Amino acid sequence: MSGSNKLEGAADKPLLLQQMGEEQAAIAERVQRSLAVVSNGGRSGGAGVVWSQTGVILTNAHVIRHRTPQVELTDGRQFEAEVIAHDQRRDLAFLQLPTADLFPIARGQSSSLRPGDWVLSVGHPWGVRGAASAGSVIAVGRPSEQVGRYEGDLIQVGLHLRPGHSGGPMVNAQGELVGLNTMIAGPNVGLAVPLKVIEAFAQEQFTAASSDFI
Amino acid sequence: MAKKNVLEQLSEQMADVVASASQSIVRVSGRRRLAATGIVWSADGIIVSANHVVSKKRKSKVTLANGETHEAKVLGRDASTDIAVLKINAEGLQPMAKADGAGLKVGHFVLALGRPGHSTEATLGILSAVGDSWRTGAGGMIDRYLQTDVVMYPGFSGGPLVSAAGELIGLNSSALARGVSVTIPVATLNRVIEFLVSDGHIKRGYLGIKTQGVRLPAGQAEALKQETGLLLVGIEPGSPAEESGLLLGDIIVHFDGQPIRHGDDLISLLGTGIAGQKTPATIIRGGEVSEMSIKVGTK
Repeated sequence: MSGSNKLEGAADKPLLLQQMGEEQAAIAERVQRSLAVVSNGGRSGGAGVVWSQTGVILTNAHVIRHRTPQVELTDGRQFEAEVIAHDQRRDLAFLQLPTADLFPIARGQSSSLRPGDWVLSVGHPWGVRGAASAGSVIAVGRPSEQVGRYEGDLIQVGLHLRPGHSGGPMVNAQGELVGLNTMIAGPNVGLAVPLKVIEAFAQEQFTAASSDFI
Repeated sequence: MAKKNVLEQLSEQMADVVASASQSIVRVSGRRRLAATGIVWSADGIIVSANHVVSKKRKSKVTLANGETHEAKVLGRDASTDIAVLKINAEGLQPMAKADGAGLKVGHFVLALGRPGHSTEATLGILSAVGDSWRTGAGGMIDRYLQTDVVMYPGFSGGPLVSAAGELIGLNSSALARGVSVTIPVATLNRVIEFLVSDGHIKRGYLGIKTQGVRLPAGQAEALKQETGLLLVGIEPGSPAEESGLLLGDIIVHFDGQPIRHGDDLISLLGTGIAGQKTPATIIRGGEVSEMSIKVGTK
């Protein structure tokens, strides 16, 4: 179109924001393969993330309101799940699905997160499946004020978490899991349970010596 | 001078994108209190904005990027898609380049621009969700679902969502969905603006039928995944329905790819610019499900 204002250079060399957008889109697509919808007997629930190939799903304890929640995977398969671990204080739960061919999310290190680091949260805000929101880390550590019944460290992030994000993954710039979307602190601040807390919980629950859950 | 680091380069490039796109962003004063934003659609003065920011009771004014203010004439408006088209007497304006919607992916960076005041305002976010076509609460047909995590400040309605390359992705409206930022894609703008420029409104489709909602037989309800349909109890002689071959006793279950469960479904569909088009329909006739094509007329 003549007289239009497409930027010079967009055709030959992509702008940084375009390159970053493509990388971010690739991360979002990969994370969606490890994403689940968790619901409670037809009632709303939240998200979950594939923790192991052998059918273990990680989610928030507050997402589970049913003994046998339903889990739907991104490929459309639906399962009735069994709650195998549950902790209200850390707001974490593990579910077991009767399958062993899942695509587990890669895990990073939440202890290396610093204020200013880029993160991406994926979930189902207001029921929109697999939606992604990006932001940067505000702080990692114990919040200055008590947040509900939660005890322990949290990742505070400048991004929009909404109902339906709970239990979904928060990943770093490598697309690796660093936290679990858990709470909202104001319209533009999200709180996530750090991976370190999740791994400690997993250690306690699954003391089997094998490297994967059995 | 030291080489700029990546973050500085990124900031410079983003500011360039905003500065360039900002030439095509106008201030629209069309309602009491807060002004809103509009997009230059053509070099000869067509401006597109959100319907809900252009009052019917007031004369609208458009202020260009160079500060010139023009009286604007409302060429047309469509509340169902929240689009309004204005015309000002100006030449040589700079319309926005439009993005090819096919390449849009969840995770792409986007910028929202607004000009409710005298200078351009910009916010950054990402495409959160990209989905199929959807219907607004008012029955408007939007070609794709585009949701972002961009914070839309007051007065951003009617402004553009811009790609990282500075191309127009769509028009931002705060009136179509609550609590989330949704954008009307270029495909919908193209379609609706064409109607609004030629007719001033979206022509309602007309079939010439009287209908009654009925429960479908169990087997068909299961196969079609819907419980009810629309039974034809009257057909106007010479009407588009008669000419298309619809008969008394037919039950319409799908129209234009959408399930028809009751009369409101069909009524809202007829308001979406399908007048004059051959439209696919699924009907039940004599207990058999069949497909047909119906040419929608106007009254």
